[in-house]
Amino acid sequence: MLDARMLDVAGVPTRVFAAPGTGAPLVFAQGGVPGVTPWVSGAHAWRDLPARFARDHAVRVIELPGSGATGLPAGALTVDALVDHLAAALATLGTGPAHLVAHDLAGLLALHVALRAPHLVRAVTVVASSAAAPSGDGVANLTFAHPPAPPWSRRAQRWALERIVYAHQAVDAALVDACVQAAEGAPHRMAAQRMAAGEHERCFAPSLLRAKARLFAALRDAGIRVPVQVVWGSHDPLASFDQGLWLFRAVAARQRATQFHVVNRAGALPFREDPDAFHQVVAAFAAGLAAEGA
Amino acid sequence: MQPIPLPEGRWLDAGGVRTRYFAAGAGEPVVFVYGGNFGTGDSASSAYTWNLNLAPLAARFHVIAPDKLGQGETDNPPEDDYTMDAVVRHLAAFLHALALPPVHLVGHSRGGYAAARLALLHHDLVRTLTVVNSGTLSPGVGTNEVALAAPPHPRGSRACVRWVYENYSHSPAAVTDDWIDAVLATMAQPKYQESVRKMEGENLAARLFLPELAREKRETLQWLAEGRLQRPAQVIWGFNDRTAVIERGVELFRLIAAHERQTQFHVINQAGHFPFREHPARFNALLAGFVAAHAGT
Repeated sequence: MLDARMLDVAGVPTRVFAAPGTGAPLVFAQGGVPGVTPWVSGAHAWRDLPARFARDHAVRVIELPGSGATGLPAGALTVDALVDHLAAALATLGTGPAHLVAHDLAGLLALHVALRAPHLVRAVTVVASSAAAPSGDGVANLTFAHPPAPPWSRRAQRWALERIVYAHQAVDAALVDACVQAAEGAPHRMAAQRMAAGEHERCFAPSLLRAKARLFAALRDAGIRVPVQVVWGSHDPLASFDQGLWLFRAVAARQRATQFHVVNRAGALPFREDPDAFHQVVAAFAAGLAAEGA
Repeated sequence: MQPIPLPEGRWLDAGGVRTRYFAAGAGEPVVFVYGGNFGTGDSASSAYTWNLNLAPLAARFHVIAPDKLGQGETDNPPEDDYTMDAVVRHLAAFLHALALPPVHLVGHSRGGYAAARLALLHHDLVRTLTVVNSGTLSPGVGTNEVALAAPPHPRGSRACVRWVYENYSHSPAAVTDDWIDAVLATMAQPKYQESVRKMEGENLAARLFLPELAREKRETLQWLAEGRLQRPAQVIWGFNDRTAVIERGVELFRLIAAHERQTQFHVINQAGHFPFREHPARFNALLAGFVAAHAGT
């Protein structure tokens, strides 16, 4: 079992779940744009996967700002502010270089943390991250185009989750319950209010574009200094197979230890949709890096 | 760094063919099928191709690497049957002779084709299938002819062999002297030179082997598209392979994954045609995880 505790991370109350163990810890960072994504994420997104990894690894699960029980940073809600928070959280945890397992938006955050502070990062596993992947002049993604009202109700969150998985059976009552509970928490309500009041258009969306541009330039020019694996669902409606492969190509240009993995019959939540395959691939990457270093 | 030796070699009779193989360890049986074919004059494969994988994986599994029909030290095809069909029949006879429980087959390049064909014909012998950089199995155009055309060295010379494997690989450093030694030792055998005379001198490659393979490959791809594989599978690809480019791996994965839920696709960066030689630690970890996840017991 993982123990929950609240940490002060540069002034942001941050919930972290922890399990002891040896070696580079696996640190999980969940996806979702706070106050915007139509299902509310948090540590619950990972279901029992962190506990499963905790059999062989030290594990931490960080709840990112505006999700779960973690508050919001003082300034504007931007990708940069979230990168600052994740880097500060790792430094506060003080575990030494961590293997970040980062989903969706957090994939972009984790890559930026690795670029900025490689001493905090042993490796990055980027999972189903349209935020981190090249999108070019893609067509509009209609997955969340017309959600049922009211937003973040039980009905709306189940609707959203069922649209991003390969098969709806991956969305169980426990997940929906946890998302509803997270939606009722003060961090999400505050984030939703601020984003709806213009902070999304004014601050977050432009910061996302800038962060992507900075990422691709850094990957192309200097490269990233830590091993990276990209894990994708074969049928992700938010981030296509090609986008995953192009993210791999971008990282692989200058990082020798780069791998790409596809989980079959999985959408945007491959770690819930096929937890066995996901665990196998991530554990193998950690074991392979350890063996290479030995 | 000292080369990792193969386990001690053994011999058995597989369908009347004296067959050399290497085996070590205990547990889930993992059978490695290397690439290439008999009778090529500027390269030659043998079980030594797997030397970086067998010993490390033997710590957890029963690893087995046979020399294919007419390759390594195994005898040439009886009655001049220089076909892929004969290679697959010999592999099946080899597995029957060992009387193993269903095995985890790992096939590379032409060996990926042979392993897949074996699985499609003998489901009872196979628990899982791993295909590594197999242009022979994947749909589309192979680019060996382009990448490896006309080596600028005398045929069969050490320099020629090195040139061929360097062009297969991402990094020339992957082509170690011990690997080249093993290739040259295979090529030096009278029975191997006999196979070169048959395939190239008597044109069995053009008259028999390639047309038969092409005919059979059409059928094999149809079988995969129909969902006949019916075993967990993974496709592992070296990203920088110039002879079997990444798009061909993607296509092969999609072909298998359409029917087989438990299919995975893995790409390893800075690896050419032999990712298991360029990044053995991470390749071995991937394979070990897959085998353990689908263990029979």
